[in-house]
Amino acid sequence: MSRGAPRGWGERPPEHLEDRIVIRLDGEVIARSGKVEYGQGIRTGFRRIVAHELRLPEEAVRVELGETDVVPWDMGTFGSQSTATDGHTLRIAAAYAFQLLRERAARRLGAAVSDLVADQGSFRAPDGRTASYGELAAEAPLEGTLPASSDVTLAPGPDFAPDADRVEARALVLGEARYPHDVRLPDMLRGHVLPPPRTGAHLLSLDDAAAKAIPGVVAIVRQGDFVGVVAERREQALQAIQSLEATWSAPDGNPEPPLEAHLRSDPGVEAALAQGELRHAATYRTPHIAHASILPSAAVADVRRDGADLYVATQRPFGLRDEAAAILALDPKDVHVHPQHMSGMYGGGGWGSAAIDAVRLSQAAGRPVLVEWTRAEEFQRSAQRPWLEARIEGAIRSDGNIAAYRSEVRTNPHIYGSGRVPPEVAGMTSGRNAVPPYALGAMDVALTVEQAPIQTSAFRSLAAAPNVFASESFLDELAALKGEDPLALRLRHAADPRLRRVLEAVGDLAHWAERPKGDGHGFGLAATIYHGTYCAEVAEVFVSQSGKVRLGRVFAAVDAGRLVHPDGARSQIEGGIVQAMSWTLFEETKVSDGRITTRGWRDYPIATFQDAPEAIEVRFVGDEDTPSTGIGEPGSVPIAAAIANAVCAATGARVRELPLRPARIQKAMAKG
Amino acid sequence: MRYELQVNAQTQVVDVPPGTSLTSVLRDDLGLTATRLGCGHGSCGACYVLLDGAAVASCTMPVDEAVGHRIVTVEGLAQDGHLHPVQEAFLKEDAMQCGACTSGMLISAVALLDDNPHPEPEEIRDALSGHLCRCGVYGRIVKAVEEAAK
Repeated sequence: MSRGAPRGWGERPPEHLEDRIVIRLDGEVIARSGKVEYGQGIRTGFRRIVAHELRLPEEAVRVELGETDVVPWDMGTFGSQSTATDGHTLRIAAAYAFQLLRERAARRLGAAVSDLVADQGSFRAPDGRTASYGELAAEAPLEGTLPASSDVTLAPGPDFAPDADRVEARALVLGEARYPHDVRLPDMLRGHVLPPPRTGAHLLSLDDAAAKAIPGVVAIVRQGDFVGVVAERREQALQAIQSLEATWSAPDGNPEPPLEAHLRSDPGVEAALAQGELRHAATYRTPHIAHASILPSAAVADVRRDGADLYVATQRPFGLRDEAAAILALDPKDVHVHPQHMSGMYGGGGWGSAAIDAVRLSQAAGRPVLVEWTRAEEFQRSAQRPWLEARIEGAIRSDGNIAAYRSEVRTNPHIYGSGRVPPEVAGMTSGRNAVPPYALGAMDVALTVEQAPIQTSAFRSLAAAPNVFASESFLDELAALKGEDPLALRLRHAADPRLRRVLEAVGDLAHWAERPKGDGHGFGLAATIYHGTYCAEVAEVFVSQSGKVRLGRVFAAVDAGRLVHPDGARSQIEGGIVQAMSWTLFEETKVSDGRITTRGWRDYPIATFQDAPEAIEVRFVGDEDTPSTGIGEPGSVPIAAAIANAVCAATGARVRELPLRPARIQKAMAKG
Repeated sequence: MRYELQVNAQTQVVDVPPGTSLTSVLRDDLGLTATRLGCGHGSCGACYVLLDGAAVASCTMPVDEAVGHRIVTVEGLAQDGHLHPVQEAFLKEDAMQCGACTSGMLISAVALLDDNPHPEPEEIRDALSGHLCRCGVYGRIVKAVEEAAK
C-alpha cells in the first residue's frame, strides 16, 4: 500500500482512515504508523492514544510501525515529532473511526447516537442490545479521508496513567526482543565489507588469495569500489576481510562550496552593539561526537530476483526501501522493509549503513546475508555529529537590558549525504535553535554550513544542543558583566509565558535562590524551546582542584503539552540529560588526516554508572489541553550550558569548548 | 571441534573451531540471542553471562574455557513461567529504553544480589560499572536493583 509519493520538507500528504486504523471481525484494532520504535516509547504512546479514543483497554490495540508494505509513507522518525504529528493523526483517525462505528451502531440498534454507551469494544443501546466494533466494522470498509481535527469529537480527558507499561518491556527482559543481529533465516550467510580508508577513495587493486583460502569463505565480492566477503560464520568473514590486500587511490577532491543562510537579520544591530554600555564577544566550540550505539549496526537482507526483504534497524524505512530498490533495480514496492528492535541510534539511523552492505552481499551471493559491523567499524564508518563553532557578540544597555545579539555559526551538514540543501532546510537543521528564544534587542544570526572531511549526520536535536550550549553560556556571561542573577536575566528577557513558566518552575525545583556558589560547588541554568517543547534545566556540579567535574543533582522543568505516557516522557528527559552530560564532559571523535581514528570504548569513553548525576528531578508543567509536543530530544539540549554555567559558578572558570575536560577547566581556573 | 556445555541447566553439544568466543557459540550455534555482542573486547558489558553464578564477559571467553562450568543466559533467568525478581523489578521501574544493554545489566544484577542480597546504591553502581547504557537509564537501573532486593 504505502500510499503517497515522497513529499518535500514540510509537506504532508492527505491522510486516510483505512491506512491508519483497521478493526478486525474479532475486535482486534490495528493502528499503523510509518514511524519506528527505538526505545523512545512511541508504540506505547500510540496505543494509549488510539485506545483512549476508541474507549478500549490498551491491550485491545496493536500498533504496527515502519513495515513498509502496510504502513503509510513516512519521511522518518526524527525531530521529536512522532507524538506531535503521527500521534495526532492517529488520535483523529481513532476518533473518526469511533464516530463512524457509533453511527452504524445507532442504525443497527435503532437507537439515538447519544443513547449508546461504548464499553469494552461494543456499543450498548438502552434496551440492552449490543453491537461489537468487529461486526460494525465488517458491515462496510472503515475508510475515507481524515477530517480536520475541528470536525471530529475527541474523547474527553484523560489523565493518562503515570505507570510504566511499555509494550516491548517484557520481551526485552526475557531476551526475546529481536534486533537485526538476532534474525536467523534458512541458508543465511554472514557478510562483511572492506570499506575504503577514506570517503571517495577508489579501489586500485585487490589480492584475495589468502582470504579465499580461509575455511568457510563462500565468496569474495567485488563490484567497482565495493569489496566484501560472505562466509558461513561471522568470524570467518571477519578473518577473510582482514586477509584481503587492497590498495586505494587518494579520495576524489570534490569539496562542496559552503552554504550560507541568514536566520535572523533585524535592522540596526551594529548601531545597537556600538551604543551598549557593556559589550562582550565570545566563541564557543563543540567537537565531532559519535552516536555510539551499544550494539554496532547490523542488518539482514534476503535479495531475490523479484524482490527483497530487509530485516533492519532504521529511522527511515521508506528511505531505505527506495535506496535498496535503486541499487537492485527493483520497484520499491518489491522491497519489503521489516524494522526490528533497534539499539538506540539517536539520529544516526537515518541512512543505509549495514543494510546496504547486506543488500549488495545478498544480491551477489544469492542467499540471505547478515552483516554485523565491529565496534571499530561502528565508530569509523558512521557519520558523526557535525563540529560547530559559534561566535557571539552582545551588548547591554545601562538599564541592564540586552540591546543587541549577533551570532555567526559555522558547522557541517546535519543531513547525511545532502551536499546541497535549500537554505531554509540548512536553517532548520544546522541552524536549529541558533536564534535564542528571548527578546534580546536587535538580533542577527548567520549560518555557514561547510563540508567536513568526514561524513556528518543528524544526532539527537541536530544543531540545537551545540547552539544552545553557545547561546545559553553567553547569556550567563552577559549576566556576569552586570552582576545580575542568571535566572532573573532570563526571566526579564523571556516574553513567552510558557518559557517563563519552565524557568520559574526549575528555579523553584532547584531552590535556585538559596543555591551555594563557589569553592568548587555550583549551580548552572539553561533553557530552550525545542520544536514547541519548553525545557529549563539546572545542573549542580562539584569541581575538584584538578578540574574534574562530578554531577550532583539535575533539575528539569518541561512543558510538552498533553502527556500521553508520563513515565515514558520522564524517562526520555532523564535519558536525554544523561546522554548529553556524557557529550558535555567526555566525548570527542578523533579525526586525523580525513579519517576517524577512534576505535573503541577505551578511546571514546561515555558516561558510566559512576558518572551519571546523583539524582534527576523532572517536573512537567504543561497543560492537558495543549497539544502534545516532542520529548525525545529536548532534555538533551540545555544541559551542556547548564553544566558549563555551573562550572563557572563553582570555580570562576568559563570554558567555551566541549568536552569539559579537566585540563581545559584547570587552565581556565588558572586564568581566573 | 566438539564441545559439551551446560547452558541454562541443559547439556548442549556444539562443533566449532577452537577459540570461538562463548558469545558466538551462544548466539550463532545455540540460538540464544539474548546475550548481545557489543564490542568484542569485554568493555561494554552487553555480553555478560553467569558462569558458575559469577557475571563474566562471554565475548572474550573462548568456548574451550567454558567447558565444565554452569552457564546461565538471560533466557535461563525466568523459571517455570515466572520472571526472576530482577526482571520483574526492571519492568516495574521501566529500567530500559532501547534494551541493547538490558541483558548484561540483568545478569550482573542477578550475580550481585546472589552475593549481596541488600546492596547500597553505591555497591550497585560498583557492581554494574562494567556495563554501558547509551540511553542513560542508569538511575532507573539502580532503583530496579534496589527494588529487586526488597
